[in-house]
Amino acid sequence: MDETVAEYIRRTVLKIPRDEIKTMLQKWGFLSETQLQTINFHQIKENISQDVVQLCEENSADIKQAAVLDIIYNHIYPNKRVWSVYQMNKTGEETEFFDLTDFKKKFKRRLRSALKNVTINFREYEDNAVWIRIAWGTPYTKPNQYKTSYVVYHSQTPYVFISASVLKSNLPLLCQALVVASSYHDIREMELRSHSLNSLKDIVFKRYSQNFQTYYPRPLQERNVAPENADLRIIQENRSEKERIQRVNREVFGDGPQPKLEFAQYKLETMFKSDPKMDVLDKKEPFRCLVKFSSPHLLESLKSLAPAGMADAPLSPLLTCIPQKARNYFKIREKKGFFSGSFVSP
Amino acid sequence: MEEGKAYSPDGVFAHLEMLEARAYEAAVKQEETEQQEEKLARLKARVQELRLQRDELRAKVDLQQKGQLGKEGVVSDPAQPSARPVLEWKIKSVKAMLEVFYLTGISGKLTKRGVCFCISTAYQGTYLDSYYLDLLAKPQMQIHRHSVPIFIPLEQIAKKYLQTDIRRFLSVLSDHLNAYVGRRYQADQLQEHFSDQIEGTLQRNSLCNLLVFNYNVSSESKTFPFNARLLYGDLCRSLPTEVIVSCARVGQLCWCPVVVLQVWIRSVKTCCFVTIL
Repeated sequence: MDETVAEYIRRTVLKIPRDEIKTMLQKWGFLSETQLQTINFHQIKENISQDVVQLCEENSADIKQAAVLDIIYNHIYPNKRVWSVYQMNKTGEETEFFDLTDFKKKFKRRLRSALKNVTINFREYEDNAVWIRIAWGTPYTKPNQYKTSYVVYHSQTPYVFISASVLKSNLPLLCQALVVASSYHDIREMELRSHSLNSLKDIVFKRYSQNFQTYYPRPLQERNVAPENADLRIIQENRSEKERIQRVNREVFGDGPQPKLEFAQYKLETMFKSDPKMDVLDKKEPFRCLVKFSSPHLLESLKSLAPAGMADAPLSPLLTCIPQKARNYFKIREKKGFFSGSFVSP
Repeated sequence: MEEGKAYSPDGVFAHLEMLEARAYEAAVKQEETEQQEEKLARLKARVQELRLQRDELRAKVDLQQKGQLGKEGVVSDPAQPSARPVLEWKIKSVKAMLEVFYLTGISGKLTKRGVCFCISTAYQGTYLDSYYLDLLAKPQMQIHRHSVPIFIPLEQIAKKYLQTDIRRFLSVLSDHLNAYVGRRYQADQLQEHFSDQIEGTLQRNSLCNLLVFNYNVSSESKTFPFNARLLYGDLCRSLPTEVIVSCARVGQLCWCPVVVLQVWIRSVKTCCFVTIL
């Protein structure tokens, strides 16, 4: 077995939390159950990884199997990478049959024709998602397994989720291969980025909870309302206002959990509005300013702003439109339509 | 003392004057007291009056309260059994009506700026997912938000029919959604109920319009590996338009496809064009 492959497997195993190593190796399926039973999973990770490498040597693993282990790790822990969403367009109206083997063949062929030194691996999952792992090399060097890009594609959808990592120069190549393989015409990057892959999927596939007005009496989810004060001496003076805030909040954000985003960025290119007498700026030019909101869970924190009394309800549409417009990077220019950049059609 | 003075000759008139003065003072005092008494009497009378008024008002209030209770206690007893159940019955019938609308598959509710439609899907008596469309009426009919899956060609359908014929738009969209849900349900059922006969995994795609799987048919201690490929050409139908069944091993197979097709017809109820290789 190749030295580099052994080292790669060892490093991949070291990344996995100790309690999960056994299940992940089982999912991998490369080592048999009897082999797995010979490993002591309670020792320190260094030793576990050495044992695993030794067993892989016995089975003579090659880079393909090692890559599969890497895909499994990234599939279970996708939040360690930053994912961006790309949208593809096509003009035709033909029914798509999307044959997976066809897709894989076209993708590999297209990519390899441009760059020979790449390792490409595919793995399909139950939710119609195809995970593609690409390790990039150059025309003169072998693929670097530590510099990988991941692509997640759901068949017959125009969205691709890419985690590009370091090498941005190979991105156009990757995009082209995707477009050809999925029979679309072009591809562009959306202004939507996050660590949480599932939240990105929820936003673009519209799986997040939206509040639609219907007559059908859906069972209202009983949220755990704090038992209203047992002490009758306490009177809520602002009850109607609180109820109004809750109602407005619910209309905007819906009832369920929000997709998880870490930041929203607003680039202002508007004129500074001040008292004409003060004349802060000599020349009338746009005041360049960047506002960035960051949070472990941005949309949940926005949802709790009004009930916590920190902001007025309803919140500014600049903040609440994030899931619907499927973007968290905005450019705000002067005047009427205050959103610029291409709209994502709902 | 005054007796002594009564006999003095120039004292009589003084005495009389004195008596007169005294009488005058007495009269004045009397008048004063009389006046006071009068006043007192007047005030007493006023107090009495007010007391009377107060009693009257109290009585009125009591009467009113008693009167109300009296009404509830007396009148509502026969009315109560009829008001509440009537209301309950009304609520039940409205809910039932709304549920009927929901069960028909397309229901809607007017909103401030337009209308919100709910398309509920079903396949062979099993109710499956519901999808929502929030439409704005002005300046023209447009989709504000929706929960339709991304692989359904919503934009194309909207471009064709939304402005001109909204009924057709809803009907076409409902066909697409029902067909997709039906195909998906069939594929899920196939995976569940025939999991022992299928080799490996069932290959499908998001729209579930292409299904490929391998299965074995054994007869006379020989097993034949088959591969079935179902294409659903029409996105508005939940039955395949083309089925390709192929076998890796050739020979003595003339009756096998029949068995295969029987398996298929049982699970999918398909009758379509079949190519046997």
